[in-house]
Amino acid sequence: MPLTPGEGRGDFATLVGWRSNAPDAAPRPAFASPGAISTPGDGLAGTDIHGTTVIAVKYKDGVINVGDRRATGGFAIMYDKAEKILPLDDYTLMAISGSFSKAMEIVRYLRHAFRYYERSQLQPMSLDGKLSELGKVIAGNQMAAMQGIGAVIPVLSTFDRERNEGRIFFYDGGGARFETAEYGAAGSGSTQIRGVFEYISKTRGPFREMDRETALREALTLLEIAADLDAATGGAGKILPVAKTITKDGIEDVDEETLRAVVNDILARDPLASGPNAR
Amino acid sequence: MSYSLYDWNQSLQQRNEYVEDRLKDGSPVVAVSFDGGILLLSLRPEQQRKVYEIYDRLIMGALGKQSDVESLRIAAIDTAHREGFERSPDDVSVQRLVGFALSPAIKRVYNDQTAIPLTLRVVFAEMNRSADEDHLFVLGYDGEFAGRQRYAVVAGTAYAEQQAEEALAAAAPKTLEEALAAALTAWGTARARLAPRAASDDEEFDPLAADGQDDGSAPKTSDDPAVALREAIKDGATVEAALLSRTTPRETKFRVLADSELTAAVAPYR
Repeated sequence: MPLTPGEGRGDFATLVGWRSNAPDAAPRPAFASPGAISTPGDGLAGTDIHGTTVIAVKYKDGVINVGDRRATGGFAIMYDKAEKILPLDDYTLMAISGSFSKAMEIVRYLRHAFRYYERSQLQPMSLDGKLSELGKVIAGNQMAAMQGIGAVIPVLSTFDRERNEGRIFFYDGGGARFETAEYGAAGSGSTQIRGVFEYISKTRGPFREMDRETALREALTLLEIAADLDAATGGAGKILPVAKTITKDGIEDVDEETLRAVVNDILARDPLASGPNAR
Repeated sequence: MSYSLYDWNQSLQQRNEYVEDRLKDGSPVVAVSFDGGILLLSLRPEQQRKVYEIYDRLIMGALGKQSDVESLRIAAIDTAHREGFERSPDDVSVQRLVGFALSPAIKRVYNDQTAIPLTLRVVFAEMNRSADEDHLFVLGYDGEFAGRQRYAVVAGTAYAEQQAEEALAAAAPKTLEEALAAALTAWGTARARLAPRAASDDEEFDPLAADGQDDGSAPKTSDDPAVALREAIKDGATVEAALLSRTTPRETKFRVLADSELTAAVAPYR
């Protein structure tokens, strides 16, 4: 190892020679929790595993992210405990949809890139810098995505400490970013529920004025609607979704008990429901 | 021109003296592993940082030439991140980093008779599940390194380091407050006790020196850690401390302590 550092401007891609479409950045087996092992073993090795619906909504203290736990490969449910809402640093969450393996690769890369910059340059990367970094990765992935392998559409949520507010960004396939005023959603179930967001904010008031409880309930209801209308989105009745918040104090998991209570309540409102939650 | 064994020995000696002379005046860095994590503390005369985050569970502090410290720091960060990304963050360990990456590189520079040796002494600390499992390493200008448990200090001389580490072992801090207090004392010790006091110092009566103290001024050299700390702070040095927290739920375990967190510990020396 030479004692002559590279360019010294904190660019992690230069350090590791990482390009998202380079052959050595091929998808790796990427399951969210190390303990969980899922073996397809049914000839689906060539199938890209896809994450499905993720939702981000603002509320008065910041941003809530919810996501179902399902990952699909073709018409098969490959994995029912996927983590699709992943922290990039203390104030940034990336909700992933599309190719699961590529998304995990991008998350791994960004986690290192943000920290590498901060540690080597002795100052944190700016929000704009982080957003551009993700944009570059998605743009680099565009060719592969157009050929039908490894398309990733993320929703990035963060708490902007300078403005003291939560912010949500989404990207198109070419890496362009857009900031949304209220909500963002991605994945196969997201198109079906788009109108519902509008309906909620027009009838119940804007998301950014809701308290945590209300915003969580609306987001989980939206996720449940997505599960009803989209075959690839997992319902909350079987496995609890994941919900995380970002506030000025950083990222926090919504605890399982709160989540379970809200989910049970939503499920019980279905007039034709059967099972333990039925009225 | 012939090159004898004597010349070789002489040049080695000169290189060592060159470096050690320059290290002597450096501000020591103290690493303390306790239940809540690992504390790294130093006093800095200028605005330049002295304690650094290297990787998720790795920190570093150094004394020496800032330019040399900086190139070693970047080399450590590069190596750790490359390994963490290409293999796994779990595979980034201080013993691999120091033993197989940094030490050989420093050694190469030291052995090169045409290059100026890196003028630095570095302490690394790796946080694990408990203080007993933490690993601390001290790395020298010639590439030599040594592992430490619980406490590690880099200072101007080996004697100073040993004295400061003994002071830490005696204090055996459990909480962050205790660790801060013990680390400050250790810093003062490392600063004040660069060499053992000759036995004659205490006994020999020097009428001139005694006269000089009649006006009540402190003796010129004191081995009291508190005096060294007070003088450094009076001269405008600021205390810099960073914590690698074992208990935080945050993604980032490292944080530089805010001034408000240091006020109580520093108050006795103001």
